[in-house]
Amino acid sequence: MADISISDNDFLKFREYFYRKTGIQFEASKRYFVDKRLIERMEATMCESFNSYFMMLRFEASGEEMQTLVNVMTVNETYFFREDYQFDCLVRSMLPEIVARKRDDGPIRIWVVPSSSGEEPYSIAICLLERWAQINDWDIEIISSDIDTSILKQARAGVYSPRSVNQVPAAYLQKYFQRNGFSYQICNELRGAIEFTRVNLMEPADVRPYRNFDVVFCRNLLIYFDDVSRKQAAETIYDSLSPGGFICLGHSESMSRISSLYRIRKFPEAIVYQKPLEAK
Amino acid sequence: MGFIKKDIQAPNPDVQREEPAGYSELARQLASGDPAERRWAARGLARHAESVPILLECLALEGDVSVREVILTTLTRIGTGEAVAGLVDCMRNDDAELRNEAIEAMKALPDEMAPIMGVLLMDHDPDVRILSVNILESLRHPGVESWLIDVIDNDHAVNVCATAVDLLGEVGSHAARDALLRLKRRFADEPYIQFAADLALNRIAKA
Repeated sequence: MADISISDNDFLKFREYFYRKTGIQFEASKRYFVDKRLIERMEATMCESFNSYFMMLRFEASGEEMQTLVNVMTVNETYFFREDYQFDCLVRSMLPEIVARKRDDGPIRIWVVPSSSGEEPYSIAICLLERWAQINDWDIEIISSDIDTSILKQARAGVYSPRSVNQVPAAYLQKYFQRNGFSYQICNELRGAIEFTRVNLMEPADVRPYRNFDVVFCRNLLIYFDDVSRKQAAETIYDSLSPGGFICLGHSESMSRISSLYRIRKFPEAIVYQKPLEAK
Repeated sequence: MGFIKKDIQAPNPDVQREEPAGYSELARQLASGDPAERRWAARGLARHAESVPILLECLALEGDVSVREVILTTLTRIGTGEAVAGLVDCMRNDDAELRNEAIEAMKALPDEMAPIMGVLLMDHDPDVRILSVNILESLRHPGVESWLIDVIDNDHAVNVCATAVDLLGEVGSHAARDALLRLKRRFADEPYIQFAADLALNRIAKA
């Protein structure tokens, strides 16, 4: 195959289209990253020019190549305190609203989906313990779900690499982790605090028991779904939230492109989406 | 106070939404007074292709936008010719919101829309033709460019052509070049057509 290159026009055309379809915006500084992955995909699909690849990407009925490209253009990496501005938003903006309108002393319910290997739910638990002054006034229920049972097993075990805990402040690391050689295990108190469950968001029977959540963290999942599945998942999560409940997506995801059911909420720390208070 | 755990997958006495028995039960729930129950019913009906007529009937009457959205997603999931025909009918509805929602649903059905695109693009109503061009905007189908070329070559309504030429600016290849030049001659007195066609020609030349 002849040498393939991506021209400035190709890059701009691709960037505009990819942004429109996924909400992911590549700055000019990411040019090398984007070009490299585009060329890899063009070679893998035997496309000899950017135009032929772009036409396939745009018009392939199955959308399979677009999905593959999304997968390679996004870094599927999870670690403790990833995008922790949303956790700050939880304790400073969302929880005060939730508490203010709560009419009973029932628990505050948080759902993390996908759970992956547990870094996110454990990070939330640590944030609540360390940064939320009202932690002793409320019961908190954190449920963390994933379709993959092997990853749930890892989450329950709570053993992590140094890379995974790299962003954890030293004081938290000492307080909530136990070092075993080259790995870190989350303390038993936190391991016992989170309910890990298997759920398939696309299966109504699986999801129906999940309801009355005050906050759902659904970060970097919908981006991997096709358009219809993404919409279906957003609608399903809508029914798992209490009226006024919040959903947090990944930084490159936008509910506005998926469903009109939610209201956008611009808090000082983060943009999140809310099920309308008057929703039935 | 602190962290608590409940077994979420255990039967919950508070759960009102019991596992539906099947099509007839779901169809009954679609008429429930509770929008949440109607949403769950519409979601569950995705497994029942025979539910298209009742879903379309409910779609026309449904006042709650959240239920409507789930019904449209279910119709998209079912994706049969009958479902597509029902979505096409929504393009003629007086409710602009419903029209737009139906268009979004149809964009997700390239294989099902392809056989009827030619007919839609020749509809007697120019508004329906514009909406049909809008469907092409996100339709993943290799025929998009040739449909657009047909539109700019044959449609007499300047607004339909303007919508099509905008899209050709993005997806057009050298195959669209001659048609764009013909369009410029056909609408020589329309500044927007001149502008949009030049833009598309420029982009194609640089590609």
